[in-house]
Amino acid sequence: MRSKATATATLAAATTAALLLAACGSKGSSGDSTESGTLTLGAAMSLTGALAREGALTKEGYQLCEKKVNATGGVDVGGDKLTLDIKFQDDTSEPDVAAQLVDQFNDDGVKLILSSYGSANTQSQAAVIERNGQVMADSAGADNEIFAQGYERTFAVLSPATEYAASMIKAIDELASPKPETIAFLSADDGFSKTGAKGGMDEAEKLGYEVIPVEYFPEGSTDVSSAITHVTSDHPDVVIGTVHLEEGVAIVKQSHELGLNPQAFGETVAPPTPDFAKTLGSLAEGVLGSSQWTETTKGEDKYFGTAKDYAADIEKEYGHPADYHDAEASAACLAMVLAVEDAGSTDADDVRDSLAALDTESFFGTIKFDETGQNIYKPMSVIQVQHGKVVTVWPKESAEASLVWPGTS
Amino acid sequence: MSAFLQATVYGLLQGGLLALVAVGFSLVWGVMNVVNLAHGSFVIMGAYLGWELQVHAGIDPLLGMFAAAAVMFVLGYAIQRWLINLVVNAPIFITLLLTFGLSLLIVQGMNIIFSANYRSISTGYASTSLSMGSVRVPLGRLIAFGIAVLVTVALVALVNRTRIGLAILATGMDRGAARLMGIPARHVYSLTFGLSAALAAIAGTMVGTVDTFSPAAAGSFTLLSFVIAVLGGLGNMYGALLGGLLIGLVESWAGLYLSGTWVNAMAFLVLVVVLVVRPSGLVGRAYYAARVEV
Repeated sequence: MRSKATATATLAAATTAALLLAACGSKGSSGDSTESGTLTLGAAMSLTGALAREGALTKEGYQLCEKKVNATGGVDVGGDKLTLDIKFQDDTSEPDVAAQLVDQFNDDGVKLILSSYGSANTQSQAAVIERNGQVMADSAGADNEIFAQGYERTFAVLSPATEYAASMIKAIDELASPKPETIAFLSADDGFSKTGAKGGMDEAEKLGYEVIPVEYFPEGSTDVSSAITHVTSDHPDVVIGTVHLEEGVAIVKQSHELGLNPQAFGETVAPPTPDFAKTLGSLAEGVLGSSQWTETTKGEDKYFGTAKDYAADIEKEYGHPADYHDAEASAACLAMVLAVEDAGSTDADDVRDSLAALDTESFFGTIKFDETGQNIYKPMSVIQVQHGKVVTVWPKESAEASLVWPGTS
Repeated sequence: MSAFLQATVYGLLQGGLLALVAVGFSLVWGVMNVVNLAHGSFVIMGAYLGWELQVHAGIDPLLGMFAAAAVMFVLGYAIQRWLINLVVNAPIFITLLLTFGLSLLIVQGMNIIFSANYRSISTGYASTSLSMGSVRVPLGRLIAFGIAVLVTVALVALVNRTRIGLAILATGMDRGAARLMGIPARHVYSLTFGLSAALAAIAGTMVGTVDTFSPAAAGSFTLLSFVIAVLGGLGNMYGALLGGLLIGLVESWAGLYLSGTWVNAMAFLVLVVVLVVRPSGLVGRAYYAARVEV
């Protein structure tokens, strides 16, 4: 009896200790960004939780940047070569944890930050960055709302959320024959997706298409059947989803189940991800997607070379085709490194000014920021799944293949 | 009208899948008073087992789910026998902590072994539909619905008509008296937990067949199971089925007539209303509140 009570107490204590350790697992010490010979950047990453998949790709992008920069001897700061050292912490895909970790980096003297994945995490980080006088290169927070707050210390290398669906509408308008007439929008109810849907609807109306009012469903939902049932009776020619991967897969799968068969599906974020075609198999054929980057993106820089060089490096390093989530992370890291080099200093204020003035070509295309900190100078690409592979179909100058229209069989 | 019919049919089928996910959770809570916060991770483990069997051995998930269930039964039995039984007499807070810790461990383990990539068990039939007038009936979800009903009926038969089932029931009602009657409570608890894990594996295989899954989905399946078990009521094996069907229908109708953001809110509103009107759930048995635990 006694041994049982002891075992119970020991197990309870061990469980409590394990949970406390798990809760505190993301905390740890970081180096000072002014440590001699080292340039330390802080990165709170979604390594566990709902965004672990995208978080892992983002981490790959940051790590490749670290490797490529250090392979050339490091970051040139006023003639001194500093070794780039990125400190990673797990934000468990929670925006409040992502913000706390930025605070923790600040306590440890790390002022230069690379963002977490996604608009929600980045938005919560941006407020803390501003308060602490840190500087953040944003790799994956595209929601225009982040940049409507008047922040002056967050700079996004990627195109804004409004461009995701709008770029697909432009591509369809330019390339599709016969031209569709009606376009339906399905959207998750998070800020990024809603902003994306609005951008797409504005563009469609501007180009003269009949727009069926947007149907929302909860973010992260794998049941989007009600939204599909709603638009089925309108017989839309094109269905555009402003979604993440799981919702994007559900739209195509459940449309098939429920008999919604438009001329084409177009989705933000999901189709360029390798999991999309793998998961859907033949149902993925012909689906359009918008991408921040593809292997045919124009531009070159001294660390990564061209987009094709970058894709080869990712394949060699991580054994899978390059994803745009990798590329945008590497581009954010590159922007920070170039800004430090241009400033000739690691001081946060100097680096902020240098980022604001940055205007460079890279494997990711143009990196340049408007007065709000968004990169509106880089066009997005539109891809299509053809024979199980993701190919660029728009803009024409970087297209790998012609648009297959109608996209569905 | 046809949109309403379509939403109703889809909601019922989706509800069947949700019921299948929750039935094992409800069993363990109802019989052992253990709120198993690792249940969602068992569902995802089942999905991975079904996926592995399909990809590497070419076994259809409708067969693979039995193999996945067998593996998870053994794992569930072992976890209860050598881990949870150590604290089964302790306050419920301790078992909550233990199963929560277990869930963290399993989810992180799956992240390491399988990565966080999204997967789906692909079959030729899961995305096809039967047309009944203007209503489409997705075949994969219809199969999942059928399995949910069969599993529930089989569980009722097991519990009410077999010696082991009666032992499970007796141990759940009064552990001390059951032990005095010669029922090995530890073994019965382990069998119950193993059975719950096996049911989770069957549910996981079906989830993987009709939807996508990744380790991160474990938490939402646990939450869903909790809501359905409370809604349906404990102590009646049909509770999870009814709770699942109600949640499926409410979500489907809410999605049709309200903005999508209200879907989850409506599901929880129904839970609150049912609990106000019937605190023991739709078909729960009040006497379970007076269980005797020694």
